[in-house]
Amino acid sequence: MAKVTVDGIEIEVPNGFTVLQAAEAAGKEIPRFCYHERLSIAGNCRMCLVEIEKMPKPVASCGQPVGEGMVIFTDTEKVRQARRNVMEFLLINHPLDCPICDQGGECDLQDEAMGYGRDHSRYLENKRAVTDKNFGPLVKTVMTRCIQCTRCVRFLSEVAGVPELGATSRGETMEITNYVERGLTSELSGNIIDLCPVGALTAKPYAFVARTWELRKTDSIDVFDAVGTNIRIDSRGGEVLRILPRINDAVNEEWLADKSRFALDGLKRKRLDRPWIRVAGKLQPASWDSALAALAARIASAAPSRIGAIAGNLCDAESMMALKDLMTALGSHNLDCRQDGTALDASQREFYLFNTTIEGIDEADAVLFVGVDPRREAPVLNARLRRRWVENLNFVAGMIGRKTDVTYACTHLGDDGAALRAMLDPEHEFTKKLAAAKKPMMIIGQQALARLDGAAVFAACWQIAGAADMLAADWHGFNVLHNAAARVGGLDLGFVPQEGGKDVAAMLNGGVDVLWLLGADELDMTKIPPETFVIYQGHHGDRGAARADLILPGAAYTEKPGTYVNTEGRAQLAQRAIFPPGEAREDWTIIRAASAALGKPLPYNDIEALRRRMIKVSPVFGAPDVVRRIAHADGAKPAGDVAHLTDAPFTPAFETYYQTDPISRASPTMAKCATEIPAPLQRAAE
Amino acid sequence: MDTGFFATDFGILILTLLKSLALIVPLLIGVAYLTYAERKVLAAMQLRRGPNVIGPFGLWQPFADAIKMLFKETIIPDGSNRLLFLFAPIITFGLAIIAWAVIPVNDHWAIANINVGMLYLFAISSLGVYGVIIAGWASNSKFAFLGAMRSAAQMVSYEVSIGLVILSVLVCAGSLNLNTIVLAQRHIWFAIPLLPMLVVFFISGLAETNRAPFDLPEGESEIVAGFMVEYSAMSFALFFLGEYANMILMSGMTTILFLGGWLSPIPFIPFTWVPGPIWFILKVAACLFVFLWVRATLPRFRYDQLMQLGWKVFLPFSLAWLVLTASVLEIFGWLPHA
Amino acid sequence: MARLGMTRLGVRLDRTARSFLLLEILSGMAITLRYFFKPKATLNYPYEKNAISPRFKGEHALRRYPNGEERCIACKLCEAICPAQAITIEAEPRADGSRRTTRYDIDMTKCIYCGLCEEACPVDAIVEGPNFEFATETREELLYDKAKLLDNGDRWEPELAKRLELDAPYR
Repeated sequence: MAKVTVDGIEIEVPNGFTVLQAAEAAGKEIPRFCYHERLSIAGNCRMCLVEIEKMPKPVASCGQPVGEGMVIFTDTEKVRQARRNVMEFLLINHPLDCPICDQGGECDLQDEAMGYGRDHSRYLENKRAVTDKNFGPLVKTVMTRCIQCTRCVRFLSEVAGVPELGATSRGETMEITNYVERGLTSELSGNIIDLCPVGALTAKPYAFVARTWELRKTDSIDVFDAVGTNIRIDSRGGEVLRILPRINDAVNEEWLADKSRFALDGLKRKRLDRPWIRVAGKLQPASWDSALAALAARIASAAPSRIGAIAGNLCDAESMMALKDLMTALGSHNLDCRQDGTALDASQREFYLFNTTIEGIDEADAVLFVGVDPRREAPVLNARLRRRWVENLNFVAGMIGRKTDVTYACTHLGDDGAALRAMLDPEHEFTKKLAAAKKPMMIIGQQALARLDGAAVFAACWQIAGAADMLAADWHGFNVLHNAAARVGGLDLGFVPQEGGKDVAAMLNGGVDVLWLLGADELDMTKIPPETFVIYQGHHGDRGAARADLILPGAAYTEKPGTYVNTEGRAQLAQRAIFPPGEAREDWTIIRAASAALGKPLPYNDIEALRRRMIKVSPVFGAPDVVRRIAHADGAKPAGDVAHLTDAPFTPAFETYYQTDPISRASPTMAKCATEIPAPLQRAAE
Repeated sequence: MDTGFFATDFGILILTLLKSLALIVPLLIGVAYLTYAERKVLAAMQLRRGPNVIGPFGLWQPFADAIKMLFKETIIPDGSNRLLFLFAPIITFGLAIIAWAVIPVNDHWAIANINVGMLYLFAISSLGVYGVIIAGWASNSKFAFLGAMRSAAQMVSYEVSIGLVILSVLVCAGSLNLNTIVLAQRHIWFAIPLLPMLVVFFISGLAETNRAPFDLPEGESEIVAGFMVEYSAMSFALFFLGEYANMILMSGMTTILFLGGWLSPIPFIPFTWVPGPIWFILKVAACLFVFLWVRATLPRFRYDQLMQLGWKVFLPFSLAWLVLTASVLEIFGWLPHA
Repeated sequence: MARLGMTRLGVRLDRTARSFLLLEILSGMAITLRYFFKPKATLNYPYEKNAISPRFKGEHALRRYPNGEERCIACKLCEAICPAQAITIEAEPRADGSRRTTRYDIDMTKCIYCGLCEEACPVDAIVEGPNFEFATETREELLYDKAKLLDNGDRWEPELAKRLELDAPYR
C-alpha cells in the first residue's frame, strides 16, 4: 500500500495503482479519452494531466504509477491550463460537425470541451480529412472525427482477440485502419462503438435514428444467449431503437455481443400481432375470444395424456411457470423445455449449471471444451476466458469438437466421441495437463448433449471432471454452457416431462394430439404429424407459426417484464421497455386467459402473485441477481453410462452466429451480417 | 279625411295600419342603425374605428347582423318553460313598439292622439319589466333569474321618480295629451325651468332601459348576460331590438316632455321652414347620442349604489322639486287652465 | 374645534354641491367627447400594416442553400429545445450518406412562436419568417410537414435572407 495525497485528501492505495486510479479513489474526476479501465494503458491523449509535487511538468496520470508519499493536485490552474491546451490541440483537427454526429449528446469530447474548450478556434488552416473505412455492416466510421485514442485497436486485440485494427503513419497523418477493408469479424465488434470517446465509430443500423435525449432507458436482460448479459433498452414511442450493455462485473463486465446489440430491428418485422386460426388449411385472422374458444374446444376434446407443451429458447420464466401449472391442472405430464433434445438431468442443479460461475473463470487455469464453440455460443463469456489466458501464462485450453478459432491458444483434441473416450485415459496428454492444473474447468456445450448418446457424453465428461479433481468441495469445475436464455429457468421450474410424461422427441413424433409450442421454433416441424393440433404462442411468424393451427400472439423480451436465469443459475429481472404490437399480449396473461377459458383458472391474477408461486417452486427466483457457487455434492452421479459413447463427431450448435432464433432471423441487419461478414479464418491452434 | 273611403270603418282600419307601417318601418331601421351608431360612437371614444368593412363605412353592418341572427339556431334550454321562454322577447319587443302609438312626431302626427297619452306611455313602459321577469324565470338558469330580479327591483325603483318628474311636467303643461304638452312649450322648453327634472328624468331613463351605467340586469362581467343568457338567434334579437326601441322611446319622451317635441329650437324664418319631424328626429338623435356617450364614459354602478340613488336621492329630490314647481306656479298664478 | 367643525362642514357642502351639479360626471364626459374627435389609432388592417421588425417571429420555414440543397441536417436541436414540443423529426441516411430528415413536422397549434428553434439551429435551416397571415379553415392544415415548410422557405427566401442579414450583427 502506498500513501498518497490527492488535493489534500490523504488515502492509501495499492502499490500497482496509477495516479488516475488513486485520484478516482479519492473521488476526483480526471478527464480522459484514451484511458479505459478494462484496456491496457496507452497514454496518448494527454487529457488526464495532473500536477505532482516535485515533478517539473504536468504528468499524464493514467500511466504514472503511484509512489509512497506522492502529493497530487488534480485541479490547479496549471493543470487546467495544460488540459485546455491539450483540448485545443485535439480540436485542431476535429470537425465541428456535432449536429450531424450520432455521438452528439453522449460524446466524451463534447463533454470535456464544455469544461476545457475555448469558445473559438485560433487555428485558421484547413482541417485534416481522413477517408472513412469499411468496418463491416455494424460499425459506421467517420474517421475525420477520430482523435487516435486507440481504444478500438486495443479492445479488438486485447479483449475480442481479433487484432484486425491498427494505426498507420504518425502525427497528423495517423489513421486507424483495418488494412484490407474487409470488415470486422469479431462477435464483440459493437463494443468499440461504446468505447469510442468521439463519433468516429458509430452504429451503422442506428445511424441518424435518434438522439440520446429522446430515448427512454429501460433496464433489461439479454436473451440471445444464456450469459444473461445486462442490457439497457433505449426506446422512443413504441419502438426499440438501441440496446446497450449495462455494467455488471459478475456477468458481462461492460461488453455486449453483436447479435444482442443489433438484432433489435428483427423486433419490428414478421411480428404476430393478432390471433390466427387455421381454417381449411389456411390461417385466418381471428379475435382473442374466438381463438381462446377454439383452443378450449380443442383441448377439452383431447385426452389429458395426449396434450403436450414445449417451451422455446426465449421464454421468460413467468410464462413457463404459468404453462406448467396449466398443464398440471389439465392432467398432462408432457412438458419439455429442452427443444434441442439435450440429455440434461434436471434432478440436481449441478448437472445443468455453469457451476464455476462466470466470475469463477478468473480463477481457472485450464479449460476443456466439449462440443462447444464458446466464441459463438457465448461471446462475452469467451472474452473472459481469453482475458484469463492473457493474464495467466500457464492457462491451457483444449477442445473436443469442430475446430474453430476461439481467439486464444487452444489445443484441438479431436472432433468426435473417440477423442472424448481417449481423454478417459489418465495417460492422455491433455488429461495430465488438467490433472496438473490447480483449478481446471470443463465446459460442455448443448450439441454434445443433444446427441443420441448425450447421456453417455455427459457421464464421460463427469468422469473426466472427477479424475481431474474438478468436483472438489471448494472448486466445481464442471460446467454446462447453455445457449438458450430460457433453458436454466425452465429446468429450475421443472419444465421437463413429469412422471410418465413424454419428452420433445416423443411429443413431436405423434405422441400428443394437442401440442402447445411456447415460442418453440428450433424444432423439426416436419416430424409433427398433420393431425396434431399445434398451438403456437410466440412473437414472430417463424417456423412454429408456419406449422401452427392456432396462433396466440405473445410479447418479445423487450415487451414484457420477465425473469431469466442465466447459464450459471443467476435469476435476473428484465423490465418492459415498450408494449407488444397490436393485439399481442404478455405471455403469462395469455396462458392465464386460456386457463379461464378452459374452466381451470390459475390462482394468480398479477405478476407478483405469479412470482411468489415461482419462488415456491424454486428459491432461485426469490434472490434475483445473486448466484451462489454450488459445492459438489458427494454421491451425485449422472444416470448415463460411459459405455454407450459412440464415435460420432460433435457438430456445432449453429452454422452462422448471426441467425439463431426468430428475432435474429427476422432482422435485416443480422441477415446482412450473415452474408457480409466472412467466416473467421480457421486459425491453427497454437 | 272626412269623405270617401278613409271615412268608413274599414278605411280607418286600413289607414291606421298604413300609419303604423309608416311609423314601424322607420322605427325598425332606426333601431338597426342605432346599433350601428352605438358601435361607431363607442369605437370613436375609444380611438377605434368601429364597423367599417361591410358596405361604405360599414353601413350594411346592421343588415349583416340581422341575417346572421335569422340564420342562427334558436336554442331552448332543457327544463325551461317553452311557451313563456319564447313569449318573453315578444312581450318586450311588442311593448316597445306599442308605446309609439301615441308619440306625436309633428302637430297631430300621432297614430292615436289620445288625451291620456302620457298615462298610456307610463303604463306601457312599466309593463316592460314583465318581459324581463318572464325571460329570467322561464330560462331555468340562475344567472337569468338573478338578472331578472335585479331588473325588476331597478325598474320599479326608478319608475317612482320618473312618475314624479312627469307630474311636474304635467303641472306645467296642464294636460296628459302629448300634443298639448309639446305645444305648451311654444314659448319656452320645459328643459329650462325644469332642468334638474330633465337630469333626473334622463338618468332614470337610463335605469329604466337597463343601459350603462345601470346595466346590472345584463351585467356581462358578473352574471354573463343576465336575463338574456339563454337566448339565441331571433329570440335574442327581439330582446336586443326591444332594448334599442326602448332607448328611442325614452329619447322621444325626453324630447316631448322637455325639448319641445317637433318645435324648432330657433323661432326664426329659415329654421321654422324646416319640417317638424326633422327637428323631432334631430332631438331624439341628440338624446340617443347622450345615451351612448354616457355608456362610453361611466362604469357600472354597484347594486346598493343604484338603490341608494333611486330611493334616497331621486325620490326626495323630485318630490321636493314637484312641490316647488307647483308652489311657484300657484304663487305666481301661472297654472295653466285646465 | 369650531374651526375644524366648520371645515368639515365645508368639505361636506363642497362634495354635495359637486355631486348635485354632476361636475365629475360632466368632466368625464368631456374627456370622452374630446377623444371622440381625436384621430383613431386603429390600422385599417388588411389594407394598412405595421412595419415588422427583422426579428419578427411569424410562420416557420425551412430554408435551402442557393444550390437547392436543403439546409436541415436533422440534428434535432430544435426538437429538443422546443418548449411546446411542437416539432417532430425523424431522420435516416440519404442515398448519398448525408444526414437528412425524412420527416419534419411542426404542429402550429402547439407552437408558441418563441423562436428558440431558430436560435438553436446551427445551419439557419428552420426560421420564423415575417408571414403572420396563415390562418386556415381546418386544424389539420396547421400541422405542417416538411414539404409545406420547404415550400414556405422557397416562397419567402428573399425576405428570410434579408431578415437574417439585418439581424446578423446581433447574433
